[in-house]
Amino acid sequence: MSFGKYIRKQREALKSKDRRFSVRQVAQRIGVEPAYLSKIERGDVAPPSEAKIRALADELGEDADVLLAMAGKVSSDLQAIIRKRPQLFADLIRQLKSVPDHALLRIARDVRDGDW
Amino acid sequence: MIELLNNQLTFRFPEVHQKAVCSIDFQRTLRIPDDNREYPLPPGLGRFPVEHVDDFADKLPKAWQRHGGVFIPMYQSEALWINFSGLYPCAVKIAAGKINAVSGEAWSNGLSDNPQDYAVIPEQPWLDGFNVSEGFIRQFVAMPLGEGFTAEEQITGAAEHGGLQIIVYPMKHNVYVEHFERVMGADLGELDMVCMESRVYESVPDMGLAPGGLMRQQIYEDEYGIDAWDQDNGFRCFIHLANSAQYLAITGHQPPHKPPTANDYTSAGLPWFDYYSDSKVLSGSDKLGKLTSVAAKVIEKGKGLLPDNEPVHPKTVKIISKGNVVRDGKF
Repeated sequence: MSFGKYIRKQREALKSKDRRFSVRQVAQRIGVEPAYLSKIERGDVAPPSEAKIRALADELGEDADVLLAMAGKVSSDLQAIIRKRPQLFADLIRQLKSVPDHALLRIARDVRDGDW
Repeated sequence: MIELLNNQLTFRFPEVHQKAVCSIDFQRTLRIPDDNREYPLPPGLGRFPVEHVDDFADKLPKAWQRHGGVFIPMYQSEALWINFSGLYPCAVKIAAGKINAVSGEAWSNGLSDNPQDYAVIPEQPWLDGFNVSEGFIRQFVAMPLGEGFTAEEQITGAAEHGGLQIIVYPMKHNVYVEHFERVMGADLGELDMVCMESRVYESVPDMGLAPGGLMRQQIYEDEYGIDAWDQDNGFRCFIHLANSAQYLAITGHQPPHKPPTANDYTSAGLPWFDYYSDSKVLSGSDKLGKLTSVAAKVIEKGKGLLPDNEPVHPKTVKIISKGNVVRDGKF
C-alpha cells in the first residue's frame, strides 16, 4: 500500500471513532494546510518531510520508522549512525537482510534483570 | 526479552508465540487533588524518559546496579500512570517498593488468583495507582523514601526498595490459539542517554510511590483464569525513580519540565477522562485501603497543607472505551 493510502486508511479508521481525526484537524495539529494533507493522502504529491511524517506518526499512533520506510525515507538518526561507520553498518545490514525476525530480535539490546 | 525503545519497554516472548508482545510506558500526568473527592482519569502528558541502569552504572548506587533494569526522573509529588499496550493477552504484576499495587501483598514473582494480584492486558489499558477499593485507586505519587509516605513504608515499616517493579507473563500458546486463532484469526498487526560530573550517587535518596488522590479506575478480573498464563516465560524489570536533580547530574539530560497543576489544567478547559468497560471488577485491597494519603500524612506530620491541592471541578470529561483509549492532554 502506498504511503498516502495508508495514512488515509489509518486516519479514517480513527475518525470513525473520534471527529478530531478529520483531514482539517489532523493537518492543523501537524502544521500543514488541509489541502496539502489531502494531496498527500491521494498520492498527488510526494510524501512530506521527515519532521511532518514523525508528527503524523505521533498523531495517528503509528511507528515513525515504518511510516518513513513507506515514504521511501530513512530516519535521520539512523543515517547519522550509518554515516559514522558506513562500511561496518552497510556490511552488517547486508549480512542480516535474510535473518528471520526472531533471530534479529536476539541481537537487540535487552533490559537487564538483576537481583531484587 | 525486554527492549527499551522510544522510552517504552517492550516485552517479547517469541518462544511462546510470534505475536506475544506487549509494551509498557510511564505517562507523565498532573497530580489530582488529594482531598478524598473522587476524580476522573487525568490526561497523559507524554512518556517519562527511561534510561538503562547499565548505561550509567558508574554513577549509580550499587543497589541499582544489582537490580538492573531502568530509571526514570520524577519530581517530588509528581504523579505517573502506567500505560499498557499490545493485543496479545498478558498478565502483568505491578509493585511499588515491592508492594503489589493490586493486592497490597509483598512481592513474589508468580501470579496469585486469591486474591488476584495482577492485571490482564489488553483488558486493562492502564494503571494509575493503588487498588484501594472496588472501582477506585489512589494515584501513584513520587515521594522520597525514608519520610514515611510511601506505600512500602506504611505497610512494611521499612524504606528498603522504592521504585516500581513489573513482571509480565504471556498467555500460554495453546490457550491463545484456542481463544483467538481458532475463532477469528486475530490480526495483531505490528507492535510496536553525557555525564556532567563523575560523582557516584552511592547514597541516592531513592524515591518511592505513595498513595495520592482518589480516582475512579477499575481493575478488571481475569476472565481467562490463572492457568491461562505461561508462568515459565515471564520477564521482569525494576524501574528506579531518580529525583529530577539527580537525573540531570547522572545523565546530563534535562528532565521534562514539571507538569501543570490540576487547577491550571482544568482552568484551561482541558479534558479529563472516564473509561467504561463491561468487564468484571476486582474488589479493593484491604491493606491498600488502609493507607494514608500523602496530603493526610502531611497534616499528620504537622507540616501544614500539601501545596497545589485545591479541589478542581473538571468540566470536560471525555468518555473513552475499549478500542478508543487515547488519553492525551496537550498542555
